[in-house]
Amino acid sequence: MEKIIEISNLTKTYRKRKSREVIQAVNDVDFNVYKGEILGLLGPNGAGKTTTIKLICGLLYPDSSEIKIKGIPNTDSRLESLQYISAVLEGNRNLYWRLTVRENLEYFAGNRGRSRKEVKEEIDKLLQMFRLKDKENELVNRLSRGMQQKLAIAVAMLANTEVMLLDEPTLCLDVQTGLEVREILKSIVSNYQRTIIISSHDMDVIQDICDRTVIINQGTVVIDQRVDELIKLFEVRSYRLTLTEPLSLDQQKAISTRFPTNEYVEDQAYSYLTVQLEKSEDIYQIFQVLQLNRTPIDSIDRKAIRFDEVFLKIIQGDHQYAMD
Amino acid sequence: MQWINLFLANLWKEYLEMKRYLPNTIALVLTFYFIFLGLFGVIHFFGDPSTQDVNIQFVIVNYIFWFLALSVIQMFGFEIVNEAIRGTLEQLSMSPMGIWRILSTRLIASTIIYGIIIFVLLIITMLTAGQWLNIDILSIFPIFVLTVFGMYGVGLMVGGLAIVYKQIQAFLQILQFLLAGLTFIPLAASPFMYFLPFVIGVDLVRDIMIGGQTLIDIGWLPLTILFINAFVYFIAGLLFFNYCERMAMKKGLLGQY
Ligand SMILES: Nc1ncnc2c1ncn2[C@@H]1O[C@H](COP(=O)(O)OP(=O)(O)OP(=O)(O)O)[C@@H](O)[C@H]1O
Ligand SMILES: [Mg+2]
Repeated sequence: MEKIIEISNLTKTYRKRKSREVIQAVNDVDFNVYKGEILGLLGPNGAGKTTTIKLICGLLYPDSSEIKIKGIPNTDSRLESLQYISAVLEGNRNLYWRLTVRENLEYFAGNRGRSRKEVKEEIDKLLQMFRLKDKENELVNRLSRGMQQKLAIAVAMLANTEVMLLDEPTLCLDVQTGLEVREILKSIVSNYQRTIIISSHDMDVIQDICDRTVIINQGTVVIDQRVDELIKLFEVRSYRLTLTEPLSLDQQKAISTRFPTNEYVEDQAYSYLTVQLEKSEDIYQIFQVLQLNRTPIDSIDRKAIRFDEVFLKIIQGDHQYAMD
Repeated sequence: MQWINLFLANLWKEYLEMKRYLPNTIALVLTFYFIFLGLFGVIHFFGDPSTQDVNIQFVIVNYIFWFLALSVIQMFGFEIVNEAIRGTLEQLSMSPMGIWRILSTRLIASTIIYGIIIFVLLIITMLTAGQWLNIDILSIFPIFVLTVFGMYGVGLMVGGLAIVYKQIQAFLQILQFLLAGLTFIPLAASPFMYFLPFVIGVDLVRDIMIGGQTLIDIGWLPLTILFINAFVYFIAGLLFFNYCERMAMKKGLLGQY
């Protein structure tokens, strides 16, 4: 697969204005982005997602190393590398509020050296695709937040670049508009052969539209993996046993020493034990404990794990197996 | 072709904004008209009758250039601060054309628009007041362009400061007085004046508009000096601006206000 963006040993520190305190926003980050994929940059608040995106967009200079965009270093040949990149940045300030929908599209295309005539048909198409046709002559400050976000994405689309970066594109959108934006992004990748990098802390969005995810925490990459594999990895290790008799205290203690993260609940009819296994053989250890009292097992299920749980576990440091 | 499209897009945007802020635009035009009229009037009534005509003309030419210097030099900084407040500065910086090119075309666009407005107003004022300045467009135009070019270099420097510091309004106020000084003090006051931006150009325009000279009367030497002066200021401005832009990117200041 063709590498479109290459990032290696990327580091960026900020200095606080008054105290001169150093903030390590991005620390030795490595990852590549391949042609035609949707890559999800995931991480909690302050993880360094926006900083990484701005570094890729050439809006920030890294402290060390460089980012290559189609082989072009984006610090030394900044303007040249920008030909391949467009972005919708965080928040809703990507547009001119005193211009109309169509004027915004025309103006930003003009800033990339394209004439109004040249982009007219493309704009019509985009307005159709983003369902903004009936708003084309409306001033941007009269649009809803969702429409503004869609327009910002349309503006980025009109730049016709191979790579599009979106920083938290579904933040502040209602459920329906959020879904609409997701559908649009998916169709962009399949119909226009674009490469998309999207940052979010909404796991659902990432799980739904991304092929691969790079998870950043405190400025470093903790995971770089295909989304489906990542989920599988954690799924395999999470088991739920339904028991028809409760565990004795000794049994509970034995389980807890071996599996500190286990969850055990009892109700009238059943007891439920959920454990995370590091290796699948570890299940025998549980059987050993159950055998002590010949506790009857009703069923063993592989627990379906949601992506947000995976994410939390990774952020809390439980990722040693996912990395390889 | 890219340059032309860039220019047209920014000309279009300037026009749209003037149209959308129409009351503002009208107020500006009226202010101009009344200031011109006022200048003609004040000097008419209070000036020394023997030097009256020259005085009027001197003040008006200076006033026009002061306004021009003000708008050209402040515009860069002003636009950057404005874009930073609106939050669109980062989007602009992501164009492969680069911020300075975009803002340059905006500046050219607004200079053209305001140039036409001032020109028309001046004619109207002259009609109203019955006083005539020597408007020899052929001679004035090349000097005018070179002078604006030099002013533009200074504008780039102000823009560079704006991109890093953002809160430059106080500085711009002080600058207004400095600029007034530069436009009103004659070149002959000191040889040092040759090194200052755009003083030479204003002086030459005064020679033409008041003294009735032509390009040929002026000769090559002053024109060459003007050219070098403008060119040096422009290059220095551009280098300084790029330096500041890079610094803003290093410190993460582009998106901040
Ligand atoms: N311009 C700046 N000056 C100083 N510190 C900054 C600046 N921008 C970001 N930071 C700091 O760098 C770190 C990373 O911030 P960044 O905005 O990249 O995080 P993020 O992952 O985008 O977070 P969020 O999910 O909240 O958007 C944070 O600690 C933040 O406070
Ligand atoms: Mg962010």
